[in-house]
Amino acid sequence: MTEILRTGASGRTSLASLTGSGQGVLGILLVVLCLGISAAAPQFYSEANIIAILRQCALVLIVASGMTMLVIAAEVDLSVGASLAFVGCISMAVLNATGSLTLGVLAALAFASGVGLVNAIVVTLFRVNSLIGTIGTMMLLQGGVYLFTREAVQNHHQLASFTALGAGYAGPVPIPLILAVAIFAVCAVTLRFTTIGRYLYAVGANERAVRLSGIRSARLKLVAFVVTGLCVGVAGLILASLMNAGQPTAGRGFELTVIAAVILGGTSLSGGSGSLIGTLLGVLVLKVIDNGIIILGWNQDLQMVVPGVVIILATYFDLLRSRHHAR
Amino acid sequence: MSFASDRLEGAPSVWRRLIARQEVAVLVCLLALLVFFSVSAENFLSTRNITNVLGQASLALIAGIGCAVVFISGEVDISIGSLLATVAVPLIVVMNDTNSLFLGISAALVVGLAVGMINGFLCAYVGLNSLIVTLGMMFVLRGGVYLYTGQRAIADEAGLDSFIALSDGRLFDVLPYSAVIAIVLLAAFAYVLRYRPFGRQVYAVGGNSEVARLAGYDVRRIKFACFVISSLLATCSGIILAARVGSAQHIAGLNFEFQVVAATVLGGVSLSGGIGSLGGMALGVLILQFLSNGLRSLDLPTEWQLVITGLIIIAAVSLDEVKRRRAHGD
Repeated sequence: MTEILRTGASGRTSLASLTGSGQGVLGILLVVLCLGISAAAPQFYSEANIIAILRQCALVLIVASGMTMLVIAAEVDLSVGASLAFVGCISMAVLNATGSLTLGVLAALAFASGVGLVNAIVVTLFRVNSLIGTIGTMMLLQGGVYLFTREAVQNHHQLASFTALGAGYAGPVPIPLILAVAIFAVCAVTLRFTTIGRYLYAVGANERAVRLSGIRSARLKLVAFVVTGLCVGVAGLILASLMNAGQPTAGRGFELTVIAAVILGGTSLSGGSGSLIGTLLGVLVLKVIDNGIIILGWNQDLQMVVPGVVIILATYFDLLRSRHHAR
Repeated sequence: MSFASDRLEGAPSVWRRLIARQEVAVLVCLLALLVFFSVSAENFLSTRNITNVLGQASLALIAGIGCAVVFISGEVDISIGSLLATVAVPLIVVMNDTNSLFLGISAALVVGLAVGMINGFLCAYVGLNSLIVTLGMMFVLRGGVYLYTGQRAIADEAGLDSFIALSDGRLFDVLPYSAVIAIVLLAAFAYVLRYRPFGRQVYAVGGNSEVARLAGYDVRRIKFACFVISSLLATCSGIILAARVGSAQHIAGLNFEFQVVAATVLGGVSLSGGIGSLGGMALGVLILQFLSNGLRSLDLPTEWQLVITGLIIIAAVSLDEVKRRRAHGD
């Protein structure tokens, strides 16, 4: 908890632009949520529960890391949910056929980055609005996965290493969490400290200016789409491992959860601003709410209502704050 | 003031030509589709089949009007799919209680109106991003339906003839009533958008809200009205859907917003506002509906429909974009 807040704070001092993304509000919201839930249900702070929360965060955080880069570049990918299901089925089928973890992982990553590449081509080459273009690929993938398999691809290979991918621990830490932290760190460093990262902000803020100054904006967007695809590949593998099967129906609505987390984190859909720290806070807030609803014994259907309200409220507070700054 | 009105009068003549071309392209696509399926699929061109498709298309046509109006005003509304499921609950519950279709529909419209006013207030008056607000609303509404129904369908126990007629009845035994409603609404809103001051204001606000504001239009009130229109029309679709399935389904209208958005954009309504027409939107809806119907009569598995629909959306929008760039000489 405190660590997260501290990184948020140090980020603000190192980069003035980040003050515009409302992480303070989110940090306070997160603290209030944690205090409130733990006051009502002390078991909130048990080690098992914290690990459970972080494990659930992992899947969303992995894809949200890539999605943040994409949204900063003023694009969006709605096909991630459908792709997630497809990746699970393909990796499980390849694992069943070959019995080799390496080949299964490679197949998943290759397929998912291929989807990212197709999205990138549709958006940059055909100049299709990414919101519509990726609805198109979402339909393609949803139809495609049913053509590929009508029922779940069961785990016939029983590879221990594959099961460990989703359910395993390294010491006390779940392996999905390690993967998520690694991917998050790579994306965060790329966004903040590399030329590509800074260019992504520039492309999102003013693509025309970027093009006129000689930077290939299409190529940058392509990178963001493929990175998002790769993230989906990793998440798809973890999900398939957790469910011990490749489910063609998995990942319904996943794209909305991811986008909600990114937006909640203060990344602007019009591009050019936002940060991964914000996204991390967004994921944490959404998942702490989910967890709180469960351990308080509330109706689980509230897991849809409360995040909806939180998304709207967070944008409202963000607006108030930015108006205050403008004054 | 004179500058703004010059722009407004000057703009349509340029745009109208462009829009006309886009609609022609979409129309050619639709005709090609009809010719292809009438040759390859038996019974495709029968009156029965065509009117059936129109009946099925009515849901997306009615909600599509609202979607197009909101798009033209420069905003988006993706809460319509969840709203479809939401309004069915008061409709069915009140109807079961009172045995009155009128009261049921009133209850549904009140809920739809409230949702539209909340969306409109938050987006137009508070100034929040409409994609975020309606995304949040989508979660809230869907979750609310899940909470209320406990994820079970609420069956229509009143069984009113007038309610069943909404799905089964046909005008002169030919055209389903739902299609009649869609066509009437479409004509009315097309007239308003093109010839009434409000319609022109919507285009002005979407084209350039700053110029519209300087021209003395109440931009916020116009956008607010667009959100209310969108929610009320989605409510109409929700009522027809509830009549069709004879119950309030918690999963009703899942992904409906994506279909409508895709059809609207396919019909040449720009996401950036100010451009497009209801005729184009209607053609977009019909293309997707005839496509799915034709593929079904070719005995292709339903999955292929999704794949081909996805491809067509991408192809159509990219062609559109190429054309637009050529027109701009970009």
